[in-house]
Amino acid sequence: MKDSRRRSRKVQTYIWWGVAWLATALVLFGLIDMVGSILVKGVTSFRFSMLVTLPHGFGGGLRNAILGTFELVIISIVFSAPLGILGGIYVSEFASHRVANGIRFLTEVLSGVPSIVIGYFGYLLMVLQWGWGFSPLAAGIALTIMMLPYILRNTDSSLTQVPLAQREGAWALGMTRFQAVSRVIWRPATNGILTGVLLAVAIGMGETAPLLYTAGWSTLDPKLSLLHQPIGYLTYVIWTYIDMPYDESHALAYSAAFLLVLVVLLIQVVLRLLVNRRAFGRN
Amino acid sequence: MRPVRSFTKTADKVFTMVTGLCASSPIVFLVVIALMVLVQAIPTLRLMGWKFITQTEWNFGSLYGTMQHIHGVMVPAGATYGALVFIVGTLASSVIAIVIAVPISILTAVILAYQVRGRLQLSLSILVELLAGIPSVIFGLWGMVVLAPWMQHSLGPLLIHIGTVIPYFKGPVGTGMGLLTSGIVLALMIVPIITATTRDLLQQVPTLYREGGLGVGMTTWEVVRLICLPYVKDGMVGAVALGWGRAMGETMAVLMVSGNATNHLPQNIYSPTATMASTIASKLDSALGDASKMGVHALAELALLLMVLTLFTNLLARWLVSRTGRGRRMRVKVSA
Amino acid sequence: MSKMTKWMVGASAATVLVTVVGCGTANNASGNNSASGSNNTTSGSSQKVTLAETGSSLLYPLFNGEWIDAYKSVAPNVTMTAASTGSGQGQSDALAGNVQIGGSDAYYPDAIMSQHPEMLNIPMAISAQQVMYYLPTLSASTHLKLSADVLAKIYEGKITKWNDPAIQALNSGVKLPSLSITPVVRSDSSGDTFLFSSFLSAADSTFQPNTQESWPSVQAEVGAQGNDGVVSTMTKNKGSIGYVGISWLDQGTQAGLGYAALKNKDGNFVLPTSQDIQAAATNMPSTIPADERVSLIDMPGKDSYPIINFEYALVNSKQANSATATALKNFLNWAISPTGGNQSQYLNPVHFQPLPSNLEAASQAQISKIQG
Repeated sequence: MKDSRRRSRKVQTYIWWGVAWLATALVLFGLIDMVGSILVKGVTSFRFSMLVTLPHGFGGGLRNAILGTFELVIISIVFSAPLGILGGIYVSEFASHRVANGIRFLTEVLSGVPSIVIGYFGYLLMVLQWGWGFSPLAAGIALTIMMLPYILRNTDSSLTQVPLAQREGAWALGMTRFQAVSRVIWRPATNGILTGVLLAVAIGMGETAPLLYTAGWSTLDPKLSLLHQPIGYLTYVIWTYIDMPYDESHALAYSAAFLLVLVVLLIQVVLRLLVNRRAFGRN
Repeated sequence: MRPVRSFTKTADKVFTMVTGLCASSPIVFLVVIALMVLVQAIPTLRLMGWKFITQTEWNFGSLYGTMQHIHGVMVPAGATYGALVFIVGTLASSVIAIVIAVPISILTAVILAYQVRGRLQLSLSILVELLAGIPSVIFGLWGMVVLAPWMQHSLGPLLIHIGTVIPYFKGPVGTGMGLLTSGIVLALMIVPIITATTRDLLQQVPTLYREGGLGVGMTTWEVVRLICLPYVKDGMVGAVALGWGRAMGETMAVLMVSGNATNHLPQNIYSPTATMASTIASKLDSALGDASKMGVHALAELALLLMVLTLFTNLLARWLVSRTGRGRRMRVKVSA
Repeated sequence: MSKMTKWMVGASAATVLVTVVGCGTANNASGNNSASGSNNTTSGSSQKVTLAETGSSLLYPLFNGEWIDAYKSVAPNVTMTAASTGSGQGQSDALAGNVQIGGSDAYYPDAIMSQHPEMLNIPMAISAQQVMYYLPTLSASTHLKLSADVLAKIYEGKITKWNDPAIQALNSGVKLPSLSITPVVRSDSSGDTFLFSSFLSAADSTFQPNTQESWPSVQAEVGAQGNDGVVSTMTKNKGSIGYVGISWLDQGTQAGLGYAALKNKDGNFVLPTSQDIQAAATNMPSTIPADERVSLIDMPGKDSYPIINFEYALVNSKQANSATATALKNFLNWAISPTGGNQSQYLNPVHFQPLPSNLEAASQAQISKIQG
């Protein structure tokens, strides 16, 4: 009797571990299928000329979208990196315990706001009420709102992990808090801060919803003006051109997806390697 | 000892102030967004009251007809805004996503935490987390081009056989774009969140507990089922709630695979549907054609509702995770 | 230099370098050195101007596919862009000043015109709309006969199968399959929806003319984005039916979709051929209002095709500056001219008809109201 029960438990164990391996395989298969199909379709559609030509007719090139994404990410990093890094420094170094927890909590709340709500808010306030029209600045600010929580949280957590001893050492030498941060404390946290900024860049490149109604769309190269000028971006190409019943439109959409996935995956891999550098080295 | 120069002291004060201002920026943004959405939603709140949540029909009204004056606000004739379809769509697609994603994530996390080690563990974990970094429009593209046709031609006809037992699986498979497809795409999006968090939590189960389980004669799986999983239960539920919040707020992927239904509730699991987020994205151009601007206010109320719902879910998640006390160790970047 | 300073200097140098290079390539490639609309010094025609159009997906193949290329040789200093976003977006973007030309199959409603009397609705050509379906068992030369009444019932969910007696009654002799009907609608704010709903409203008052129709709840109904989306969606679903602008007729038929003969006001079933569209156009009311906002649905005449419309350029009469205003006026005058944009070489590929000659004066009067 005991024997049969033990056997059934053993069989159950094997079955469950099998199912677990199946689940893992399913997840990996999903990832590989998605990335793989995009890469395959992208490689067959992509032409290097797409990097330097503008969209024309129903197909064409991606130059405006690439430059546009580039410009938008730069604008948003210019805003969000100082805000996030300096904010993170404040939360980890200067703020009292309660204030720090409050800011961390509210930052997490901000990161939970759906991206379409941020885009809609940007449209209502900046495009309509302030009269900026579709503009790189409005789109950049919408992206800033999305990126800020990540940079702030990563800066904060990496600074928190700097050992207290280093801070005490700096204070013992008579440094003011500013001097302590700018000369000593930030160094071991570089990894974490860079992680936060890279993550934000990857997110900014892949976002569509906040940009739909703040950036508009343009098939021309972005010019220098920050207001009253719609601007193109890569994710829009994917979303729109795949719906058109033309092969050249599909080719453009796949190429845009291909480029996007390549760059984002590259950033993500660099990111994880940075984070796990110590772990990799140890093993 | 050299006295500290006054310049250094003022620099210190200025630095503290500047960083303080920067740290308050998320709060400022949050407050401004909430206020703006709330203020813009007030006209529709006055017009529809509770019917906004209970009514199925969403009608921008006869934009080419005359305006009417109801409850103190101007609306096009016949305009009425009921968000029930979108609320049901949001909840249904995220529940389906959770139902699919949670078992798969937990099982994957168990494998990643206990069955693989070293470089393999790291590489597989990185692979799973790569899913978290892929832009949602790529998910939508894959869903539209690969998943929806597969659903229409392969999976749908297969699942219809279950329809004899469960009524929701019956019925025409339709175009392949609908509730189930959205659910699958959303599931794939939230799997990395739940997997990574659960894996981290599982790795923190004290080895002594697990060895103890083996010591009394449990099989390896029974150790996992009876000792490890209950140990991480709270944190896991928190991760699931976080994934749920992400699924509810997702816009682009759902927009591309949901079929964009209006005015009717999903009858079965293949019906076209629409979520609150995808509706705001797809109906804004219609709202702008409304001279009375009531369409814009209606969408703002939808945004308000969505924000409140996701906020509540996120708060719940955070509370559940913090209760375990191990919430601090949760890797920050994963909750993307 | 301390490491932090080195980092910051390096980062800022990199940013500056990249921006300069990026803008440099942009400037070289597009040859456009001024931000659009910000240069007020000269108003000559050598002024580089950008005109942006967005809106109707029905107009898009003509505007983007034919006119933009042709106009490059007429006025090389003007750069034009077009986007297919739906007539509703065209209406709102032109209103908000985000673009210079809003392309729309539907004119502005009275409510908007009373709030914004400075907007102009300028017809540029005559287009039409057809009802298409995906029934591979029917041959390409068979055109189903459909009426507004039957279509209204389909879009209300009262007729759910293709071999329904109501459809069979109109099409005796045609073997209709017993497929379920999948109605396809436009999920974006669409001028095509306005035309189709205007057509349906004559038979069934549940439907009101609207760019965003609140479609009755039908089980299998699917929404698609843009005419292109409708065609794509239909080719993936056997038994689907949808309303598509005539500039997409060829794409649809090449993909295997068929199109219907619609019942006109006189009771005849008419196909959207250019003769029948012309017949409807000649029967339009003799007095057109000065603001040229008029519906051309269900024109009388035995050969008249029932769903035709003007393609409107929605323009704000107050433009940002005189250079833009002049360029805009020149373009619009070229577009409506029978020796310019209204030539058959541009209109035939999209099956549009030229603007009737009696309307040219009215359109030109509106165009002359544009000021900068």
